[in-house]
Amino acid sequence: MLAPNRVILVLGAIALLLFCSLDFGTIQPNRIVEGTPYGALDALEWGGFALVTLLLAVTLVAAVLALPGRYWAILVSVVLLLMALPWLFSGFLEDQLGERYPYGRGGFAAGFWSLLFLLALMLVEGLRQVGASAWLRLTAGVLVLLSWWRALEVEALAGLSLVMEFQTRPDQFQQALLDHLALTLGAVMVSLLLAVPLVLVMIRRVRWQRPVFALVSFLQTIPSLALFGLLIAPLSYLSANLPLLQQLGIRGIGWAPAMIALVAYSLLPMVRNLFVALTEVPADLLEAAEGMGMNRRQVFLRVQLPLALPVVIEGVRMTTIQATGLTAVAALVGAGGFGTFIFQGLGQAAMDLVLLGALPTVALALAADTLFTALARLSARLNGATAQPSLIYE
Amino acid sequence: MMRHWLTPALWLLVLVAGCLGLPALEPWLQPLVDGRQAVIYPRDSFVTLLLNHLQLVAISAAAATLVALGGGIAVTRPWGRDFLPMASQLASIGQTVPPVAVLALAVPVMGFGDGPTFVALALYGLLPILRNTLAGLQGIDPAVREAATGMGMSSSQVLLRVELPLAGRVILAGIRTSVTINIATAAIGSTIGAQTLGDPVIAGLVNGNTAYVLQGAVLIGLLAVTVDSLFEALEQQWLKRTPGLSG
Amino acid sequence: MIELTNVSRRFGEVTAVDRISLTVETGETCVLVGSSGCGKSTTLRMINRLLPHSAGDIRVDGQDIREVDLQQLRLNMGYAIQGTGLFPHWTVARNIALVPQLQGWERARVEARVTELLDMLGLSPAEYADKYPAQLSGGQAQRVGVARALAADPNILLMDEPFGALDAITRENLQNEMLRIQRRLRKTTVFVTHDIDEALRLADRIAVMDQGRILQHDTPDAILRQPASAFVESLVGSQDRGLKLAALQSVAEVMQRHPQPRQAVPEKVSVGAQDSLRQALSVMLWQQLSELPVVDDQGLELGVLTRERLWRETA
Repeated sequence: MLAPNRVILVLGAIALLLFCSLDFGTIQPNRIVEGTPYGALDALEWGGFALVTLLLAVTLVAAVLALPGRYWAILVSVVLLLMALPWLFSGFLEDQLGERYPYGRGGFAAGFWSLLFLLALMLVEGLRQVGASAWLRLTAGVLVLLSWWRALEVEALAGLSLVMEFQTRPDQFQQALLDHLALTLGAVMVSLLLAVPLVLVMIRRVRWQRPVFALVSFLQTIPSLALFGLLIAPLSYLSANLPLLQQLGIRGIGWAPAMIALVAYSLLPMVRNLFVALTEVPADLLEAAEGMGMNRRQVFLRVQLPLALPVVIEGVRMTTIQATGLTAVAALVGAGGFGTFIFQGLGQAAMDLVLLGALPTVALALAADTLFTALARLSARLNGATAQPSLIYE
Repeated sequence: MMRHWLTPALWLLVLVAGCLGLPALEPWLQPLVDGRQAVIYPRDSFVTLLLNHLQLVAISAAAATLVALGGGIAVTRPWGRDFLPMASQLASIGQTVPPVAVLALAVPVMGFGDGPTFVALALYGLLPILRNTLAGLQGIDPAVREAATGMGMSSSQVLLRVELPLAGRVILAGIRTSVTINIATAAIGSTIGAQTLGDPVIAGLVNGNTAYVLQGAVLIGLLAVTVDSLFEALEQQWLKRTPGLSG
Repeated sequence: MIELTNVSRRFGEVTAVDRISLTVETGETCVLVGSSGCGKSTTLRMINRLLPHSAGDIRVDGQDIREVDLQQLRLNMGYAIQGTGLFPHWTVARNIALVPQLQGWERARVEARVTELLDMLGLSPAEYADKYPAQLSGGQAQRVGVARALAADPNILLMDEPFGALDAITRENLQNEMLRIQRRLRKTTVFVTHDIDEALRLADRIAVMDQGRILQHDTPDAILRQPASAFVESLVGSQDRGLKLAALQSVAEVMQRHPQPRQAVPEKVSVGAQDSLRQALSVMLWQQLSELPVVDDQGLELGVLTRERLWRETA
């Protein structure tokens, strides 16, 4: 007997409730004036409103009815809704902006964001319930992204304030993306290069383990703003007194304090995972490999490294996600990246500019998470392991 | 006996001394600024900033702990178990979102000030606690839970006397992570109008006053280290009270 | 007394226990034996309502268990499981005191009871009361598990493979403890195991289970002599059935008793009165003897065991 799925039921009901009660979008005549909110019915008119309500109702009914194949109905409805959202919003923008406000702009409101969030949760639950393969998950994601991409490509969302903010500064946006990636990936790479010899020494010399762990954990507890700030004074002093550093572009503010701080923060996850990866390969396995006549290099390359790889990748994943967020903060010390938009926007009380910085930062972090999780799974599967890389708590 | 409380006490002393004594260092900080600028951050006293910073973090941590603990317990009971996969996925995916982004996204929704900072801190802060609550409760040997139920303990007795004490250390570690992140995020909250020890740093960055930056940065760092050592001591105390878990 | 009448348990589409009926008399040890997945643990867990039964009737001392308050029902049944389920954050003493405390005993009475139980299970109270489970060996932890089950002097004892994870020697020691305690306390016991030797050793009556049904419910002797089906026969092992049968009986039961106990001849090969016929047979084979003197703990010779007698008893 199939029981009703309470998760989908609750999520769908909340989604329906919030969709009907909260504002769906706002319209501003220009960048400065406060926007006018529109409820879902006013924004989407009967056609769009009925479509969303109907698809949500399908998920609710499918959640209650204990029919086989009901999760496919839920999945199809949810994916359709996620794909339809940009086009529905495009209709709203066209209706409200059009001739009336040539300089006007529209924005997503709380109802839109809630719907997006709850649909994402329903998608995750639905995929879990059908035991979806990686390919199915990928297909669902790609379908939704393609629909949004297409909407942007044909300028269906040209009236969206976020898009307009982007369009006034495409070069800045590209620069911010490059700076953000360069800082984040640079810090990850440098910390990996530092962590490898450090961990190798720690494995040989047990005495080093405690102080090294204590140091990198201590660095992690220092708040980012404090560490960035603490680096400014000594770096400007050094830069003022050493012309060589100045020529290299190392000053009290800019990329130098950002990079140093980012590397410092990256050391803890990197060192911890590398250490676990290299020390927790079962000793009897190594003994067996040696006993069968492998030399040390062969043992390392053929046994230790493949077994350690998933855990190392997990460390790189954690480090990258952390560094992505911290790089945004580093904009405060003039390091560039998407944080620049966030803090500029906050300074000018321009919310769309804040979004233009915050949303890509979130997207980068999620992309890094997806990429490295997939890589870790892949490397674990190459070992024939079915389990995911072990999670390290604390 | 009380040795593990010594470290946080000392750090606290340094922190308070810093808040009260930084203005006295004016002559030493003078070279950091050019002649016309003030040397010591003038707008609020460091004690006010410290107290407001602490208050923000403490209240948001309390709210986050309450919600995360309640939620974590709810989804591990038989009647809430349907929501367990979603809760654990939410906790892990949610932590991928950078805290500074959560802070920034709170502004379009709620405006500037202490309020949105508080909401952002509480929302983000509950994720590590939720994750560790789930990990702690699920990490308990099933035989222990089965024996407890089978011998006639009621479900609330099992929860309060067996499950929570056993998961306590992991939950405490989650609260520690959450508070560490929130102290840092609250400092950045200065940029959205919260009154915290981040104020001197932001003011110093905006005006090119390195002395302000240094004052704020030192105090934020001291606050973080003090609170962290407090949690370390709490953990030691916990281990001492339940020696069975350390063996 | 525990009575199961037409009891079933379904998990979704799967029927784990299929209309079984079973009566465990007061003071009797009933062992449920079968391979993993046969429904023996499910049956046990339905008796203390850790699993509700889907159909049928379970009565304890005449009362339907669904009509008894859940906590009260369980507090009156001792419960010991594989892997002990001892609370790692509590001392041995506090673990044992659990059920008495839940029942609201006075402190002094609880303490006395804990000491008594530790003594009964061969753990010195002074040494073990304040230890934590992590500091115990597997066998010691399992003793504490049994002590905890006995703590509030329940009428009924439910044991789910309590010795399953122990090594052979420790397991045998604990089985001996069980027999000794059972002879003294006479608890109505339901004991689950997959080990037929353990079942033959401990049971007054054995219920052999397979695929959710009881294939045979009888005394160990009858199970060995007249297995009801091919499955039961393969479970008891047709080849060494004779030895198993011999293991069930003590030498004292079949020896020819002397009219008067006499002083045993020192240095002469003998068997103890409480030894099993299996041990006696082994000694005869090894020493190439056709007759063995039987001695008691005090070193008095009580009688003799002859090969012919042994042959007849295990036929």
